[in-house]
Amino acid sequence: MNFKRDISTRTYSGFALSALLVLTILNVMLQNIPAHIERAGDQLLALNAQEGVANAVTSVVVYFRGFDTLGEIAVLFIAALGIGLMLSEHTKDPHHEESSFILQKASKLLFPIIMLFGVYVMIYGHLSPGGGFQGGVIIASGVLLLLISDQNFEVPHAVISALETFAGISYVLIGLIGLLVMDKFLGNFLPHDVSEMGMLLSGGIIPLVYIVVGVKVGSEMSLIVQNLLKRSEDV
Amino acid sequence: MTGLIILFAFFAVIIVAFAAVIQKRLPDAIILFMGVGLGTVVLFFVMQAPDVAMTEAVIGAGISSLIFLMALKHFKEPV
Repeated sequence: MNFKRDISTRTYSGFALSALLVLTILNVMLQNIPAHIERAGDQLLALNAQEGVANAVTSVVVYFRGFDTLGEIAVLFIAALGIGLMLSEHTKDPHHEESSFILQKASKLLFPIIMLFGVYVMIYGHLSPGGGFQGGVIIASGVLLLLISDQNFEVPHAVISALETFAGISYVLIGLIGLLVMDKFLGNFLPHDVSEMGMLLSGGIIPLVYIVVGVKVGSEMSLIVQNLLKRSEDV
Repeated sequence: MTGLIILFAFFAVIIVAFAAVIQKRLPDAIILFMGVGLGTVVLFFVMQAPDVAMTEAVIGAGISSLIFLMALKHFKEPV
């Protein structure tokens, strides 16, 4: 391979400079580690025990920064809306080819497992790593598998829009009830005893919020994936 | 041991990213981009951020590469 013909000296010097930068950062990282900080989240973990949520990241994302999650959901909704407006008119492809036998059978085998894992990540978001967003995207990737394995499969539009509307409304409703009861948007109005920390039904509203977020993200990502896939077939 | 894994993943990510940049064929570049995502997943996981690692695995290595591949399909001439 002769790279010299195509790549200018500027690229090489850029590589060298960035390698130097990386080496410097590594040097600083490896030498100046303060002795007393073992983990960045120690103070957070102490604060976390008040909420009765076993996973510290979840209590930050949903509880202390719950309002930001509303903004994230709105951003995703607008992205799905834009893609739907631009790419949703897909015609039936007259000369589509069948997917291979291995893809068809393996997707039938894998689809339930991916769905189960997505729901698990969603529901156990307050106990273990994961949460609504990740679970929703895992479910959307399962739908993607179905879409590429079966050419005639289409996500039912009415079901998706009903799910999405329900999830969006209930997220805002949960937040507003928290505002009424606890004087704080997404206030934890359900009982969340610290002694129950680690149980499936613990953490008050946080599992509810994660399920709602997961349903919304999953339906929106499925629609995005379907619009992108079907559109690219008929070009 | 953890430091070794971090160093290894760090340099692997950098090398794969360089390879993705200098790659001439676009599909190969997208696959190498997925490799960058995988390396960062290892980094995040070893640095005690499993939540971020899960998000990166699904979004960075999965969905975003899919969107790149779909966009590549729209190109008229083969690249």
